[in-house]
Amino acid sequence: MKKVWVYLVLILLSLFVLGPFLWMLSTSVKPDAEVLSAIPHLFPEHWAFDNYAKAWASAPFARYFWNSFFVSALETVFDLTFGAMAAYAFARMEFFGKNVLFVALLATMMVPGEVLLIPNYITISTLNWLNTYPGLIVPWLVSVFTIFLMRQFFLGLPREVFEAAELDGCGPLRTLFGIIMPISKPIWITSALIKFVGAWNAFLWVLIIANSSDYYTLPVGLINFSSDVGTVYNQLMAAATFSVLPLIVLFLFGQRYFIEGIARSGIK
Amino acid sequence: MSFRLRRSVTAYLMLLPTLVLIGVFVVYPIVDSFIISFYKWDMLSANKPFVGLQNYVYIFEDPLFHTALKNTVLYVVFFVPIVLALGLLTAVLLNAKIRLLPLFRTAFFIPYVTSLAATGIVWQWIFNDQFGLLNYFLERAGLHPQDWLNDPRWTLFNIITIGVWQNLGYVAVIFLAGLQNISREYYEAADVDGATPWQKFARITLPLLSPTTYFLLILTTIEAFKVFLQIYVLYGETAGPNNSGMTLLYYMFTKGFGDYRMGYACASAYVLFLIVFVFTLAQMALSRRVHYEA
Repeated sequence: MKKVWVYLVLILLSLFVLGPFLWMLSTSVKPDAEVLSAIPHLFPEHWAFDNYAKAWASAPFARYFWNSFFVSALETVFDLTFGAMAAYAFARMEFFGKNVLFVALLATMMVPGEVLLIPNYITISTLNWLNTYPGLIVPWLVSVFTIFLMRQFFLGLPREVFEAAELDGCGPLRTLFGIIMPISKPIWITSALIKFVGAWNAFLWVLIIANSSDYYTLPVGLINFSSDVGTVYNQLMAAATFSVLPLIVLFLFGQRYFIEGIARSGIK
Repeated sequence: MSFRLRRSVTAYLMLLPTLVLIGVFVVYPIVDSFIISFYKWDMLSANKPFVGLQNYVYIFEDPLFHTALKNTVLYVVFFVPIVLALGLLTAVLLNAKIRLLPLFRTAFFIPYVTSLAATGIVWQWIFNDQFGLLNYFLERAGLHPQDWLNDPRWTLFNIITIGVWQNLGYVAVIFLAGLQNISREYYEAADVDGATPWQKFARITLPLLSPTTYFLLILTTIEAFKVFLQIYVLYGETAGPNNSGMTLLYYMFTKGFGDYRMGYACASAYVLFLIVFVFTLAQMALSRRVHYEA
């Protein structure tokens, strides 16, 4: 009996959470006449799948998709590579100033990224990187959070793994990328997912760095499309749907890693 | 070269990309932002006079900054308790040995991984005064429809709703991990003593969950002080009717990239930084004090 209440409240909360997505899908397949009907229906009387084709053709969405993918993928690959190298140094090497440096890196996580926005914009503008891929990507090639996650994981690996590799004469880079990374799959998948999602959804930075549609990523392109078409809601919802789809699919496949990574950040 | 020195050199080579990038794009801007906040500068001209504390004096006398501060604080004061309470409720329900747990958990998490740029447009459509879903439901319930997006009284409600909606799953997942960390033995002992479910929640769950709660309290507070995106998506470049959606970050954005007043923008960025910093210190102090063995 009590379980009934649990399910009832959960379903109500799920409706609140998923409702906007259902409404987005529903509107995206309605013909113009039905969008502005006094009584909204979940399913349209006449299905208008061509909203997707129309929306896709009214703005360079293919370009936005490519930009989003290119920027996010590149940031993720570099973040993993540089992050793993730094994590390896902090987890397995002795060097001058190690503890001070690690604490200083962690301290930078306290600074809200927004405070850095203006000086970074000036730096990118001085480098003549406004409206270019390097301008969009280079400031985000490393994140301290990735270094932190990987260092914790490396510290938990058995010492023998590292020692065996070093005895075989492997340098740190070969030990790291030849032996350690292949057995650290869970942590780099988690780091990669968190980084990729963050990069894909980045908004403010792209908004100020990209000033032509050639370099817009999906979120900024979508907002631009929205202010262009105004209230053509069926096409807008179609565009919103195909914009969120890749990330939802990625999340559905990788959610085990993603949610565990997030949950772990809450427990010390 | 000695062995120790060589090891240090190798380690620093491994750290080189990180140190260069963090140095240029994090450490330098922290310093530079502070310096700019003492100058009058439009970012383009070579003329960049030092003005001392004048930028800080200006923003603290600027009515728009007062509005931004007031709106941001109101957002924090409502958003944080609501998202924590709903997140805890969700987590407790998900922890009740239900079927389809993974399915529910996935559903709650989806808004957190999707871009507000896309979902914000959906909310704009839901809040539409003529054909929006919200007014339809209000009318069905016999209530007056509202002009959600043009009436400044609703601005805060709109952005809090979207904020709660997006972060609910994140908060619930972290609470759920905290709940699963509490040993079953406490509840079994309480059952032996004949405790009611409410007593168990108040005397066992809440106290043992408090490290997680404090972590989330500070984290969501810090995030809430930086509220920006849902306002930009709902209202475009206007910060809502009558600046009812003007927040600290929106103020910085307007001063910097609208008016090209870099001094004001950096001064307001540092005020935001200071607020976040105080909460971060509070977190560190609390995490040392609040500690239970779970």
